[in-house]
Amino acid sequence: MTRRIAQLFGKGGELNPRNVRLGVWAWLIQRISGVAMVLFVAAHVIAISQANLALTGPLFTMLDGLRNPFWAVDRTVLAIDLLMLGIITFHGMNGIRIVLFDVGVGLRSQKVVFWIMIAVGVLASGFIIFYGLPLLGGT
Amino acid sequence: MRVCSSTPTNVWLWLFQRISAVLLVLVLGIHLWLANFGQASASLRAILGVILLGLALFHGLNGVRTVILDFNVGTQGHKFVTTTLLLLGVALLLFGVHGLWPLIVGG
Repeated sequence: MTRRIAQLFGKGGELNPRNVRLGVWAWLIQRISGVAMVLFVAAHVIAISQANLALTGPLFTMLDGLRNPFWAVDRTVLAIDLLMLGIITFHGMNGIRIVLFDVGVGLRSQKVVFWIMIAVGVLASGFIIFYGLPLLGGT
Repeated sequence: MRVCSSTPTNVWLWLFQRISAVLLVLVLGIHLWLANFGQASASLRAILGVILLGLALFHGLNGVRTVILDFNVGTQGHKFVTTTLLLLGVALLLFGVHGLWPLIVGG
């Protein structure tokens, strides 16, 4: 297996998982999550458009309509939305880290800044999950 | 094996990518807050929706452009990718505004 990986990427190759450091993982996940988010935004806009165009009553009717199928009935959609929350939070937090480096902040402690941003992201998404989800689930 | 190639980059696109990134974190935070805890008027939701849609489409499609151009598509491919993604972005913006229309006119 190790030999196969070495053949594929080269022993000193930048894509050999052995040589991939934290910053490169962050770069790679940033790209993959970015593409995933573009697909999600397309699906999200289509879903919300359907709900908005079916809107006949006041605003809360639409929100009620959104709440039930999304959260209470379809657990697959709930799982996808939770996955997307994690992906979006990672992309945003790592993105702030990149912008900070571009303006010259934290260049000497990139790994520390990475884990600080991850901690902030976990706290923020944890807040949404524990305080927001029960409201959306109607429980 | 090289991971990053030297692709022709536009400094304005790079700058707007950073600006839209920071704005997206803020607007998306408001969006998530309103979706979970919010009591906002339809007009405020419509304005935030259009802003978020525009920012997300620019940032997302410009990011896809960056990823594709890193695979060395050549000068012709470079122009083709940029034009295609620009047209796709305009189409998706119109589609999204169409979906938000009840909120826009109802607000």
